[in-house]
Parts: sequence; C-alpha cells; structure tokens
Amino acid sequence: MMAPQGGSRFGVDPSVLKENASEQKGENARISSFVGALAITDLVKTTLGPKGMDKILQSAGGDVQVTNDGATILSNISIDNAAAKVLVEVSKVQDDEVGDGTTSVCVLAGELLREAEKLLECKIHPQTIIAGYRMATDAAAKALEESTVDNGADPEKFRTDLLNIARTTLSSKVLSQARDHFATIAVDAVLRLRGSTTLDHIQIIKKSGESLADSWLEPGFILEKKLGVGQPTRVENAKILIANTAMDTDKVKIYGSRIRVDSLKRVAEIEDAERDKMIAKCDRILAHGCNVFVNRQLIYNRPEQYFTSKGIVAIEHADFDGVERLALVTGGEIVSTFEDPESVQLGHADVVEEAMIGEDTVIRFVGCTANEACTVVLRGANMQLLDEAERSLHDALCVLSQTVGETRTVLGGGCAETLMAHAVDEVAKKTPGKKALAVEAFARALRALPEIIASNAGYDSHEIVAQLRAAHAEGNKTAGLDMNRGCVGDVRKLGITESFKLKRQMLSSAVEGAEMIIRVDDILKAAPRERDNPHPHM
Amino acid sequence: MSISGGSGGVGTGSGSRMSQKSKDVRRNNITAAKAVADAVRTSLGPRGMDKMVQTADGGVLITNDGATILEKMQVEHPAAKMLVQLSRSQDVVAGDGTTSVVVICGALLSAALDLLGSGIHPSAISDAFQVALDKSLQIVKEMAVPVNLEDKEALKQAATTSLNSKVVRQYANLLAPIAVDAVLAVKGAQAKHSAVVLENGNGAVPMKGVTSESTTSFVDLKNIRTVKKLGGTLDDTEMVDGLLLSQPVAKGGSNSVTKVTNAKVALIQFCLSPPKTDVENSVVVQDYTAMDRILREERTYILGLCKKIKAAGCNVVLLQKSILRDATTELSLHFLAKMKIMAVNDIERDEVEFISKSLGLTPIAGIESFTADKMAKVELVEEVSLGTDKMIKMTGVTKTPKETVSILVRGSNQLLLDEAERSLHDALCVVRSLVHKQYLLPGGGAPETEVSVLLSRAAKEKSGMEAYCMEAYAEALNVVPFTLAENAGLSPVEIVTELRRRHAAGESGAGINVPKGAVTNISEENVVMPLLVFSSALSLATECVRQLLKIDDIVMVR
Repeated sequence: MMAPQGGSRFGVDPSVLKENASEQKGENARISSFVGALAITDLVKTTLGPKGMDKILQSAGGDVQVTNDGATILSNISIDNAAAKVLVEVSKVQDDEVGDGTTSVCVLAGELLREAEKLLECKIHPQTIIAGYRMATDAAAKALEESTVDNGADPEKFRTDLLNIARTTLSSKVLSQARDHFATIAVDAVLRLRGSTTLDHIQIIKKSGESLADSWLEPGFILEKKLGVGQPTRVENAKILIANTAMDTDKVKIYGSRIRVDSLKRVAEIEDAERDKMIAKCDRILAHGCNVFVNRQLIYNRPEQYFTSKGIVAIEHADFDGVERLALVTGGEIVSTFEDPESVQLGHADVVEEAMIGEDTVIRFVGCTANEACTVVLRGANMQLLDEAERSLHDALCVLSQTVGETRTVLGGGCAETLMAHAVDEVAKKTPGKKALAVEAFARALRALPEIIASNAGYDSHEIVAQLRAAHAEGNKTAGLDMNRGCVGDVRKLGITESFKLKRQMLSSAVEGAEMIIRVDDILKAAPRERDNPHPHM
Repeated sequence: MSISGGSGGVGTGSGSRMSQKSKDVRRNNITAAKAVADAVRTSLGPRGMDKMVQTADGGVLITNDGATILEKMQVEHPAAKMLVQLSRSQDVVAGDGTTSVVVICGALLSAALDLLGSGIHPSAISDAFQVALDKSLQIVKEMAVPVNLEDKEALKQAATTSLNSKVVRQYANLLAPIAVDAVLAVKGAQAKHSAVVLENGNGAVPMKGVTSESTTSFVDLKNIRTVKKLGGTLDDTEMVDGLLLSQPVAKGGSNSVTKVTNAKVALIQFCLSPPKTDVENSVVVQDYTAMDRILREERTYILGLCKKIKAAGCNVVLLQKSILRDATTELSLHFLAKMKIMAVNDIERDEVEFISKSLGLTPIAGIESFTADKMAKVELVEEVSLGTDKMIKMTGVTKTPKETVSILVRGSNQLLLDEAERSLHDALCVVRSLVHKQYLLPGGGAPETEVSVLLSRAAKEKSGMEAYCMEAYAEALNVVPFTLAENAGLSPVEIVTELRRRHAAGESGAGINVPKGAVTNISEENVVMPLLVFSSALSLATECVRQLLKIDDIVMVR
C-alpha cells in the first residue's frame, strides 16, 4: 500500500506521476478499499437494533456527544480512505432520502463487501460477483415488494401502521423508554402536515428539566422570547407584523457622516428629531393595523414604551430562524420598510400569549394560518439527552412523512431481510454457473443484519438466526426477532413495522455502494498540496 | 487521520461475545467516572468534609457542594464529564443532593463493573437496572409522608437538614426559616400563572408519582434575589420585605439624599446627561463666548430634565445603565440632590423586569412620558451602610400581591459569603422541591437502606440475570449510609448492618443519627428531605449508568 517503488511491475513508472502522488493497483487497491469500508462498518454495526450500543463522539475541542445515530457518527468522523468515504456518502443519501436506516445501509454494504472479499479470494472475477449481486437484488426487491401491506386507504389502520413504524424507529434510540408516547407525538405531528414532506412546519424545542415522558406536542408555534415589560400577556385574534428593521435609528450609512453644530441646544434638537423620527417609524408600523409586532432586531426602550402605550405587543430580538418560521406558519411576510401598509401581508394567529415551560417564559402562537404548524416540546434531564432525543425524533418524523407519501409497509425485526434472503436463495438454486456463488453470498449478507441485531442484544445470534431461517423456509413469512425475549416471534403481532420505501432504498443504496467499491481496481492519489502547516486539513 | 479502531473489528461470527476493544472502552469509562465519584464522596452528609478549590486564576473557593466542586474540577475524560453533567442536572431538577447523586452513580458503576466481569451482557445489566429503578421509586413513594404546605415546621426541618451538611451548619436555624418564608412568599404570588401552566400541561402525560396539584404549582427562584455583602456575620442575614439594590446612591457632592420616606420611585431608561445623538456630532466652538453659552445651555438642559422629574412628584430615581453615554453627570446629580431626589445609578437592563415586578412600576423611556402613574409608592427608601459597602433598601412596598423577595446575606469573609449563598440556594431548592412534590422522606440514610432491603427482597422473587443484577443494585445503594457513617467517624460496617437489620424488621424510619453516633428512628430527630431530591437522584444516577453501559466506543471526531 506504499507509494510504488521504482520499476514495480504493477505501478506506473514513478516519473509519470508527480512527486508524492501515489497509485495503488489491482489487488492492493482492492484490499485497501475493502479494509477501509469494513472498518467503517465495524464501527457503526454495534449501534444497530433496539439494543444497539452508543458511541461517545469527542471533538478536538473536548465537546462530548453521545449518540446512536449512524448518520451522526459517520458525518462526524474524519476519514482518509476513499472507499470508506463512499460508504459515508451512501449513508448520507439514505439520510436525505428517508431520514432513517442510515446504519443499516452502511452495514449491509459492508457485509456485501465482506462476502465479495471471500469470493475474490476464490479467484472469482469482480464482474461475475457484480452480475450475481444484481440478479440477487432484483429477486430481493421483488420479494420485498410482494410482502408489502398497504393500509393507505383505511385511515384507522394506517394510523396504527404509522404508530408501529414510529415505535420501531424509536426503539433503537434513546427515546425507547418512552417510545409509545413519542410515537403518538410523531404521528400526530406528521398527520397534521397532510401529506407534505417538508418538516419545516414542525418545530422542536428543547428544555432541560423533568423527564422525557413529559414532552408534549403543542399545536401552534412557540417563540422562546419574552414580551416587553408591561404589555398585555394575551392577545386574541392577533394580527402579526413581522419585521427585520433597526429600531434605534435609521443611520445614514455613509462612513464618517457627522453633524457639526455650534451649540448644545442644537444637539438636543437633533436628539429630539431622532426621537421623533423613531416615533414616526413606530406610527408607520402602527398604520399596518397590527396588534403584535415581532422584530428580528432589538427594540429599544423608547419604541417599546410607545408600543406599550398603544397596547401593541412588541417582541424583540427574535432570532433569524424564529422569524422565518413565524412568517411561514402565520402566513405573514417579513418586512423592513413600512411605506406601503396596504401591500404588506400580515400574519394571523387566533391567540398570542405568554406561557411557561418549566421555568422559562415563552410566547405561544395558537391557531396560526398554516394549521399544519406544530411544536414538539422536548423535556429531559440534560442537554446531551435532549440533543439525542431531537435527532431520534427527527428520524422518526422523516420516516413517517415519507410513509404518508408511500403508504406500503413491510415487517421489521429482521423479518424482511430473512424473507429477501430466502427468495435470493431460491434464485441461487436455479442459477447455473459461477454467478450462483455470488447470489448465495448476497443471501448471507442479508442474513447478517438480524445476526448483528441479535448479537448486539447479547443473545446467541447464530442460534436465533438459524431458527429464523428455518421458520421462513417453512413458509412462516412473519417470523422475526423478538428482542425483548431473545427468540423468534411473530413480528406482525409484535407490531414491528417499517416503511417499504426505507427498506427498498436501503437495499438499492447498499448494493450500489458495494458495487462501486468492488469495481475499483486502481486508486490514484493526487499529491497533497504544499502547505506550511505541518498538519494539513483533511 | 485514518479511521480509528479499524483493527479492532471482528467478523460477524463473533456470536454474542463482545470484542476486546469495547470491553476496554467500557472499563475505562467506568473507571474514569468512578474516580470522579470518589473525589466528592468524602463531602457527603452532615459530617462531610469541605474541599478547597484553587482556580486557574489563583482564586480560592471552599465548598461542600458537589455540583460546585465538580464544576470547577475541569475533567478531561468524556465519561467523567458525563458525571459532572449528572450533578448539574440534579442541581437543575432538585437543587440539592448533588453529591449524593454522584456517589450513588459511582456505587452503581462499581456494581456494573463486577457484573460485567462475571460475563453479563451490558444490555442485560442496563435493562435490569431500569427494572430495579422502577421498583425503587415505588418503594420510596410508599414510605414518603405527604406534607402540607401550611405546615411550616416540616418545611423548615427539610431546609435545616439540607443546611446541616454545609459549611454554614451552625446557622441552619437562622437560614432555614428564611428559605421557607422566601419560597412561600414567591409561591403565593404565582398562583395567577398556574392557570396557564395547567393549560400547557394538558398534552403531557403526568409523570409517575406526581400529583396533579404539584404539576400546577411551581416556584420561580428567579423571583428571589440574594444580595451578598461582606461584613457582619451570618447572623445578620435577613429576608427583606421589599427590595434590595446592591447599588449605592449615586454620589453627587456632599449633600446627596440617602433616605426618603413616602417615596415615589421612578425607573428611567434615559440619561440625565448632556444630549447625545445617534449620528455622530461635534459642537464647533469658535470663541470664548460660545463656550460659555454652551456650558450654560448644558446647565439649562439638565436643569430642565430634573425639574420635570420633580414636577411629576418623584423623589427617588433609578437610572438604567447606558453603554453609549453616562447615565448621570456631576451636574445632574447636583441638581437632583438640591431637589431632594435620591438617584441610583447603574441599574442593569435585565434587572428592570425584576424591579418593575417588585415595586409595581413601569419603566419610563423618555422624559416626555414621565407621568405620575408610572411611579411606585414605597414607604421608606434608604441607603444602608454595611461596613464599607453601601446598598439601597426599600421597605413598605405598597404593591400587592408581592411577587418577589430579597434576601441579604452577610458574612465575615468572601469565601464564607459565597458558600452561604450556595447553601441558601440549596435550601431554597429543597423547599421548592417540596412545593413541587409534596412528600417528605426521612433522611440519615433511611430511604437508601429501606430501598436496598426491600429491593433485594423483591429480587428474590425473580429469576435469571434480572434477579442477580437487582441484588447488585440493592447492594450498591448501601453506599450512602456507609459513607455517611464513615464521614462521621463511626464504624461503617457496624452501623450499616444494624441499619439493615432494623429495616428488615420493618422499622422504615431507622436512620443514622450522626450527633448520637447510633442508629435511631430518624423521623423523631426531624432529619427529613423532599421526595423529589431522592427520587430524582436515583433516576438520574441510574440513567447515567445505563448511558455509560451502552457506550462501546469513543470516536475522535473533527
């Protein structure tokens, strides 16, 4: 794996490449990429399943993050191996597409590579392996599709499906203790969206204190700000003007502009003029007919008092995100000039009021124009737990919103994988030629997933997986892992359900990723750019 | 950097065995966390020792408060950091028991380490601990005694128990009533908020063991202000019915007003100084006469402001600090003094809300809106000198109901003063916990022993790993009475076994009586603590242990 030696039979003559640039060829290249990809797989595979383990991520700055989320782990580690990077990419795509199953996709790709490695040792050509894998993928996808259940037409049953999916996704996360509670929250939130897959309407607020089970779903929007002193704490039928404007003075933005006067009285006059200008600006704002004014920037004492005297609620220093979201959910627009009150769209909410979460005061917007909007308030012992809870909930929301679009579901708990493996095995028996070996290998890779899940939970994985395989061979198509009792059970009865789209995406992404790495026979590394810094960035 | 731990991977054929690496990581994490727990163990209980903490900038801190010690310890190891956060969480939730939570966590970790050593899978241990926790919470809930918030004596006992383990223990009798009165005063005022909270809580499933009234009543400690002033002794600590401002009266010559009766207080957010525009300005002076004129104008301008203040009937002015300009000048202070108006400088912007809430006034942003209805009537405003320091005391606030309380803490040196403030904060939290969850537990190691005894009895009815792990959990809880006895210089083995015997015989109130050095019925000694402190300590510690058990790798990231 070193830079090619002069006159090596396999490498390009060193004089062709730039100094420090390196090349790995044939067997070497393959081994190097396999080693990298497998190391990544081994890193994340212990986090798989309901009893998966967590990782501490420690940054150079000393910050500590505890997580079980494959995407988070993979996107944070620094990698210097091309093949490993491919796997990280695959997992990222999975995250973008369906939001969950990021660990599974990486592990399946890794297992496919592990099997491919063994075949390569038997001198089977990579292209033969790929051809076999493709056949197997088709068979597996077909079997998967046949096993789907579609309850999209029946809202009652579909809700149960969604609850089951949410529960399955959450059971592998930190939220597993309160997963029923969170499954309901996630399903309610997603059903509010009515089919839209943009999660912008769902806001997640984290407040430390109490326990995870005390989290709740708040219909409406919550802004973590305080109302001005002495203003009404409740406004009904609120007309909201959302602004991003300076409420101190409109400064002339010419560098070094200054006023020369010859007496202090004039200075006082200018001060008054500035004040009047501000009041005039406030009047222009009032001319919009709003009764709630939200500004992204600070509102200083004087305008605040003016608004208070007019009975207007003024909220200052709402952050950028908050203002944008508020505009989205209340249907208002963000304005920074106030010359033309007619053309400005005001936001609307039935009630704007001050509320308490734990010990913090927040502002609650109920009955917004965009009725989809809702807020999940997460409570928990510490910030790390809350961060991880937010990641988990986000995964669940992603999967659910995808499922609303593609209503078919499949069974989880290793059932779908074993089912596919079984179908692939059938194909292998009928395939003449060397390709059959690759098809068989594919089935083994699929079966590795339930094996890892069982092994993570501390059960005798070989025993359980063999039982599972036998159950499927007997035609028991709902057999899967029961990780609470450590045996094979009927996963449909246990309610372990997963989204079809997730499984389908996982299968194809993993195969594509693995195929890409198997095809590699040459790694060329560009010479690193010269830097003064002895530790160049990666 | 290349992928970490790439070599440690094992094949899929590993079955249920764990890789060597993850074993090492776990052991390493637990050892680090235990080291932290051991560091604070000796400060547990009424005879616990104090720690002297030397900060990087050479400052010294003496404390007995677990949260504070850990905060300052600057640990590096990620697992150790989690323990520090554990203690902080306990501080947030219950405010007291920050040492106990870490000590319990350490003991549970030791137990987990032994269980791991005998080849039990971490997931199994983690699950069994959760079962044990649920059972334990049930046990303590049963032994807890409901307390009525009208019963001040009981609240005082709880506060006293908390204070007894602090440096300031000899003043416990003084500080406890203060803490109780302060929390109850603030609580009463907040009744109006509870309606909103109730509405909020609708969607939430009530937590186990929380009665419905306790989710609606809560106390915001931000409404209790403690002002620390050096000098005097802790005996002089008092709760002030009104408002304390740590700022002194602004000095304007020799005749500034320091005492006003029947005061009308205004809080202004503009400045009593020469005008300043937001746009840069410069006054161009061309000759002598112009200079005189400008000085005159400045005088007239400021005099104009002061006269308007006087005209509104105001005689105490609080000025918000401004970063752009001086809030007052010599001249304006001079005028104010002449008009017999007291002036207080440097009110921070975030103090404004507290002050308006306590006095019932409205801040005034500009001189043109200076009207009488924005001011508050206070019977007496005076500057009090405390040794070299001065502060403002306002008594006889007319506003009802009172929403805030001020507490003045005195102490003979800065270290003692800081520690007194921390202890008082803990005591306030204890009382607050009681308001949240109106149950009391006996102290002196009684609940730990009770849980331990009953839990191991319950474990005998189970089978398999779960029973084995529950036994270990129960055994681990003995660490609290053991440490209490050890720190008090008693013979821990004798005490703990005696304690266990009496609990096994059904005497659930038996605890360690530290002053007598024996096991007695601790409820008679009035050593009590809120249920929330213990239950949250137990759940947080268990949660932390489970989190640590679940970790099998430390990955360095960017």
